[in-house]
Amino acid sequence: MSPSAGTAVPQHLLAPETLASLANLELVARAVVTGFLTGMHRSPFFGFSQEFAEYRAYAEGDDPRFVDWNVYARTERTYIKRYIGETNTRLVILLDASASMGFASGKVSKLLYGKFLAATLAYLAARQHDAVGLIVFDDQIREHRTASSRSGRLHGVLHAIDRVQPGTGTDLTIPFERFREIEKGRGLVAVISDFYCDPNALLKSVQPLAYQGQDVILFQLLDPQELMPQLKESALLEDMESGKSMEVSPIYMSSLYRERIAAHVDALNKAALGAGADHRLVTITEPLDSVLRSYLSFRHRRG
Amino acid sequence: MSLIAPAFLLGLLAIGLPLWLHRLSSDNPNKQKFSSSMFLEPGEPRRVLAKKLQYLLLLALRIAVLVLLALAFTQPALWRRPEAASAGGARLHLIVLDGSASMGYSGRFERARAAAREVIAGLRADDRGQLVVAGRQFEVLGPATGDASVLRDALNTVEPGVFRLDYGQLMRSIDALLRTAELPVVIDLVTDVQQSSLPTRFGELAPRRPAEVAIHDVSGGKADNWTIESFAGSALTGELEASVRSFAAADARKSVRLTLNGKTTAEQPVEIAAGGRAQARFAALELAAGPNRVTVSLEPGDDLAADDQRFLVLKRPQPRNVLLVAADQKGRGALFLASALGTLATLALNPETRTPAKLTDKPLAEASFVVVTDVGLLGSGEVAALTDYVQNGGRALLALGPRSTGLTTVPLSGEVLRGGQQLGAAATVSVGEIDTAHPALRGLDDLRSAKFTRYVAVEPGTEDRVLIRLEDGAPLLVERPLGAGRVLLFTSSLDREWNDLPVQPVYVPFIAGLANHLLGGAGFTSEADLGSTLAVRALGLAGGQIFDPRGQKALGLGAGGEDVLLDQIGFYEVVGGGNTELVAVNFDPREADLTRVDDATLERWRGLGTRAAEQTQSAASSAANEPTPRPLGPLLVIALLLAAIVESWVGNWHLRIRRGLAA
Repeated sequence: MSPSAGTAVPQHLLAPETLASLANLELVARAVVTGFLTGMHRSPFFGFSQEFAEYRAYAEGDDPRFVDWNVYARTERTYIKRYIGETNTRLVILLDASASMGFASGKVSKLLYGKFLAATLAYLAARQHDAVGLIVFDDQIREHRTASSRSGRLHGVLHAIDRVQPGTGTDLTIPFERFREIEKGRGLVAVISDFYCDPNALLKSVQPLAYQGQDVILFQLLDPQELMPQLKESALLEDMESGKSMEVSPIYMSSLYRERIAAHVDALNKAALGAGADHRLVTITEPLDSVLRSYLSFRHRRG
Repeated sequence: MSLIAPAFLLGLLAIGLPLWLHRLSSDNPNKQKFSSSMFLEPGEPRRVLAKKLQYLLLLALRIAVLVLLALAFTQPALWRRPEAASAGGARLHLIVLDGSASMGYSGRFERARAAAREVIAGLRADDRGQLVVAGRQFEVLGPATGDASVLRDALNTVEPGVFRLDYGQLMRSIDALLRTAELPVVIDLVTDVQQSSLPTRFGELAPRRPAEVAIHDVSGGKADNWTIESFAGSALTGELEASVRSFAAADARKSVRLTLNGKTTAEQPVEIAAGGRAQARFAALELAAGPNRVTVSLEPGDDLAADDQRFLVLKRPQPRNVLLVAADQKGRGALFLASALGTLATLALNPETRTPAKLTDKPLAEASFVVVTDVGLLGSGEVAALTDYVQNGGRALLALGPRSTGLTTVPLSGEVLRGGQQLGAAATVSVGEIDTAHPALRGLDDLRSAKFTRYVAVEPGTEDRVLIRLEDGAPLLVERPLGAGRVLLFTSSLDREWNDLPVQPVYVPFIAGLANHLLGGAGFTSEADLGSTLAVRALGLAGGQIFDPRGQKALGLGAGGEDVLLDQIGFYEVVGGGNTELVAVNFDPREADLTRVDDATLERWRGLGTRAAEQTQSAASSAANEPTPRPLGPLLVIALLLAAIVESWVGNWHLRIRRGLAA
């Protein structure tokens, strides 16, 4: 059975255009995750239940709500309960807020889609009691929240995601370096970007994370017009980051450009594999549940 | 404004091209934002004809460039009519003052000043006056003005010169002023109306454009004058001869005084008939080394002092050895030649005859030049010695005598010989072409009186210059440079064996000319015309100094390459290159004839002018009254350049945008 075969919520409810009409980002995340999880039934990947798995000593940063006070009463030691499906990992979302992410051929821009995706991932992780962190960047770090599973952290992260606006250029080196400096523990790293960068440079940036034990998944968001542009006549295209203008012909955009962007995606994919990371090309017209499925599949494999 | 070449307006049709191009290139794509230009490549813009014109500023500039270009070719001009038409009779008086030498005669120039003042005084309130002095040059003394005091002040600064005036040349020069005149012109010519100043063609006296001619005769009636018409020395004897001419109505007795370097050496009385000539001859002078100042003057002088003297530069010749190579010292060739050379006192030649065997007994370098009476006499050793002599700057005259008939080439110079030409017993050939431009052959047309019975046919080489040909076209005298020296080849004999030249009167001048040329000639111009220029560089005296007859420096050191105007009569002293040379500059004897133009001719001359009133009335048809064009071409070209620069800048700006090189 295909992962989406059992989806109970109509697909269009998770369509980005539909989600864009929701005012609250948390609402979006909740709608997506709830709808997604409701349709999961018995997921082939893992069950989402409160089935007890083990005790673990309380560590700083753990939510005190999960402390088993009964055990504490008996042993005067603080333990927290762990359940099946809870891998107790941390997820740090690196969201690209560069100017190019502001591109939209339809109602939803890449950045808005990225915000939906980031919020959804954060919400899903919180539901699984994973610590959630966030780095928003363009050519510098614009927002940074360290990973934490404390209650209220999700709201902070969602609020930070909600505030993101398109910035300037893109520099992937800076957020990865910053990540390595601050996030020392193992965990999941979800990078949401359009990855207009040199694949080799990306490889050099991601590889240290893999060596550090991080599991990295790259969500490359691209607009359909970026992948399969369709121009009826020559157009003067202005680079949203550099501001350069260039007149391009429809013939070029329908042939050579497509080959080049496809080659670029392929090169990114290979670079990601080379760095031990996952690469997922996301067309921003794609419903979010399929992206979430990719994430969960990734998490399952890495968890 | 009107256009001189309106046909070029057709060029405006070219405006259609930018209009079409701006529609063609108006497929200006709408600017769209795109996420990244990382994979973009600029493409060729699609060419379509759009309804809307794009780049209007650029289009306007391009159209402006085309319009300006077309207009520039049409030569637009603003036409301004002469002010006369509206000024009601205002006129421009060109007061032309004769500044020639003859005006210095007996109060003529004072009368001329008075006449000019009268003209100035007669100027009406709206008239303009302009003062011009005509001598060797046409000198305009300031712009046209209505201020009489300015004209009078300018008049007081004018003095007569030493030059001759030609009325035809004067009228041609005035044309430049007539062309730009904005008022009807009256030419007030204040002159002594010399007959000798009239041009060859009477028509040259007419103004080129309509102008009234008013001639103010200041000759005063008296015109007696005597002048030294010529003064020259004989190249053969060194004797001096001065020719005195009378332009007087009565006979006169005068004396001619000869001065050498400032000291009077001789004086000779002459009787000069009315309107006639007389000669004064003087024996050869004992000249000092270097150039000598020789002056003849007429005593007593007359009212025109400038023509009473004549100057001549003479140099004392240095004795020079001439080597004659002949079969024997009593040979006829050597005899004729030695006799002729001996008579050339001014060249001071010392001929010495040697046989070929004794040719090298003394160094050849001691000889100023060498004459070989028959090159067939020379053996190989003598040829080698002579060749070496010529190669090192020596000069030689080679004759082809009876001994040369067996030769195939001329020793030294190397011309190919085709053997002797024996004419029939009674047949002779005369001289045909003579290169009279050659310094050795000037004035030697009498050579044609000589008859040649034999000669050796020579094929001239590419370096040869044939100076004389016989009537049958065969070269008689050929010149060839050889190394640093030169060789003259005479293809007949120098004695009477093959021709009768030695017994002709022209023989000695011919030998004198050849000798003078072989000696290097007179490389320095010792006499020059008044008003001519002395080319310093041509004289090889660059870096020297030139002093005028008054001793003033006319050209300083280091002014090489400049020419000095010889505007004074007397001796110019040229110092340079370790030598001092003199240049004699003499009065133009034509100016000495003070005879006045007869009244009938004068009246006809006046009739060539057009009265000012007629000029005004015939404004429509008169060239002088036609509006004066003020060409606008320069302004258009400047505007065109500016428009082109701005168009380039704007075009480049658009191009950068289209090519994605700039935002």
